[in-house]
Amino acid sequence: MIWRWLPLAVMLLWALAAFFGNSLVSGANMVNLDHILDTPGKSGLLGFDDLGRPVLQRLLAGARTSFIVAIGVVTISLMLGTTIGMLAAYQGGWLDLLLVRLIDVFMAFPGILLAIALAGVMGPGLDNLIIALSMVGWVGYARLARGQVLSLRERDHVTAAVALGSSRWVILSRHLLPLLAAPLIVEATFGIAGMVIAEAGLSFLGLGIQPPDASWGSMIRDGTSYMLMAPHLVLAPGVIMLLVVLSLNLLGDQLRDRLDIRFVTEQKMS
Amino acid sequence: MNLDPRYTSDALSARLNRLFYQRLVEMDANSMPVPGLADWSQLSPLHYRFKLNSTVGKYPDGRVLNADDVVMTYRSILDKSHASPYQAALSMIDEVKSIDNETVDFLLKRADPLFPAYLEIEILPADHIENDHPFSSQPYGSGEFEFLRWSEAGHLVIQRRDDGQLFEIVEVKNPLVRTLKLLRGEIDILQNDLSPELLDYLRYQKDIELVQNSGSNFSYLGFNLQDSQTSDLRVRQAVAHAIDHQSIIDKVMRGAARKAETIFPPEHWAGNSDLIAYDFDPKKSRRLLLQAGYGPDNPLTLVYKTSSDPFRIRLATIIQNQLSQVGIHVDIKSYDWGTFFGDIKAGNFQIYSLSWVGIRTPDIFRYIFSSESLPPAGANRGRYTNPAVDDLLKKAEQAETLDRQTRIYREVAAQIHKDLPYVPLWFEDQYAAQGSRVTGFRVSPSGNYDGLSHLKLKKSRGNRHAQAATAH
Repeated sequence: MIWRWLPLAVMLLWALAAFFGNSLVSGANMVNLDHILDTPGKSGLLGFDDLGRPVLQRLLAGARTSFIVAIGVVTISLMLGTTIGMLAAYQGGWLDLLLVRLIDVFMAFPGILLAIALAGVMGPGLDNLIIALSMVGWVGYARLARGQVLSLRERDHVTAAVALGSSRWVILSRHLLPLLAAPLIVEATFGIAGMVIAEAGLSFLGLGIQPPDASWGSMIRDGTSYMLMAPHLVLAPGVIMLLVVLSLNLLGDQLRDRLDIRFVTEQKMS
Repeated sequence: MNLDPRYTSDALSARLNRLFYQRLVEMDANSMPVPGLADWSQLSPLHYRFKLNSTVGKYPDGRVLNADDVVMTYRSILDKSHASPYQAALSMIDEVKSIDNETVDFLLKRADPLFPAYLEIEILPADHIENDHPFSSQPYGSGEFEFLRWSEAGHLVIQRRDDGQLFEIVEVKNPLVRTLKLLRGEIDILQNDLSPELLDYLRYQKDIELVQNSGSNFSYLGFNLQDSQTSDLRVRQAVAHAIDHQSIIDKVMRGAARKAETIFPPEHWAGNSDLIAYDFDPKKSRRLLLQAGYGPDNPLTLVYKTSSDPFRIRLATIIQNQLSQVGIHVDIKSYDWGTFFGDIKAGNFQIYSLSWVGIRTPDIFRYIFSSESLPPAGANRGRYTNPAVDDLLKKAEQAETLDRQTRIYREVAAQIHKDLPYVPLWFEDQYAAQGSRVTGFRVSPSGNYDGLSHLKLKKSRGNRHAQAATAH
């Protein structure tokens, strides 16, 4: 039971922190030399960092950063990837060949390395980070969408739609997309988890959001220098990230169980 | 890293070279020149005679250092075809000649009562200079330590001459990694470049002995005096009054620094302890900003450049925060060292923070504040020009007694303190931490490694090497 509700609860908290955190985090960047490296206690629930800034508030601000980046990147990748994948599969011919080769090239290249290179070239910042990660992220969705469409377009209802003279647009959006949605949503859920980690990774390397704004990745980086004296600086963002990513993966599993028809029927039969 | 003392310009090489070689002159605690290899007498204002004394050492091949080595070393530094960075400081030398095997005469073009202080330069063997020995990678000197191997970057093996003790000097960049290595016993000693928190942490480790000494390396905020905003004295004063030095020193540096007013610490003979600090006074700072034409509707925005060192960024963020309290908005730009230093030298900045390391003689004032020292000629990076200071510096150069020179340099310091091309920040303490195997290291105010000559192994077991870690 707990495995069912925990992911949802964590997701809800994450979303709430992202949307309403802003009004709570006014103090996230407030330097206070009296609190430098204070451990969790009365004055601050999760303690203070190397500049005397409250860790809890910075975690909330970091939640906002990771939420915006993860959701933003997955939305853009999903739309871009699905469009390209469906187009390639349905159109076929040289366009398909070209796009598949392009996808292969992107797949062969280590994604995070490409994102680092792009973020390095474009300069650090939230918007550039989203663009860089989306440039890497669309490929998975494109391949998935293409594969699905290749099998789905042979179905009878598509043939019927073609026979009835439906336009390509109608076929793609009304007859194919709804059937594609389930696997894409599952893939996107796992994608969000991946992007939370990717954003933290790039921020850890200093390519993401710039100080003084908070990100979980940059909080961990700043905290590593004080690991011996103030482990809470690394533990707090680390544990939060673990919870969020774990929840997203559990949620993805649950969604797959629920949306995959075959799986549901198999379970009923057994 | 360049281990040829004639061309050394970085602090690490200079510190290592001190171990391999001997110098004619050394500096005492007040930075006054005292005899090193040689005792000197001033025969006339333009004529100094140096006589080698009993501290003269031997080169690895057994030959004793002699007057020829001294003459050749100085001739090679002054040779116009070599671009030694010491040429400018030694430009007053007209001739160097040996009188006998133990006596060297220096004839000067112009008198300088401080002349011996400029001779704190390592003496190389004459025969090796003639043979173009690669000193930059294979030091060969008569100092307390002999160079053995430099087999890979960041790993040097040296041997102490009097007892044959081997030392490995290892480069470990990350402060946390160095601390962990010390705690695990992989290294025996480390010096400087720890965050104040790590320093405090080591203080309470039972196997670690911490030695600390007040330092003389001067940290400052530099302004660009050709910039339309920072050329306004009121703006610079507003910045100076908005920084709460004391709370940074107490709470961030945890007391491991002392406040600075001028480049030289008070114990230095040319230091000026009469300067009145720019006290932390946000109200005054706001008032000055209003007078300069900035206010809540028209806030002052400044760009602050710093290196990418995490501790420097941390200090920059704190200063940014303190300046924001009086309504100055600061943009911090941190760059890798090369880009940052290039920008500073090119005058491409509004404010930057840096430190002067290992400064001993007050001729540095000419190098950094004279209108003739704009880069690339000197290090007047803020493009500070004040005819009164230029005038005083000329007078100091011509002063015939050290007393008079001291007085003039104090005046220079006072004028610069008033004009604020730099906001003086602090002198960071020097410290070293020794593991349980060793004892006896002493920390010098300039952070050199001379203390290694006193380092002792408590008991020898297994590995008889002592290992030291550096940050660079």
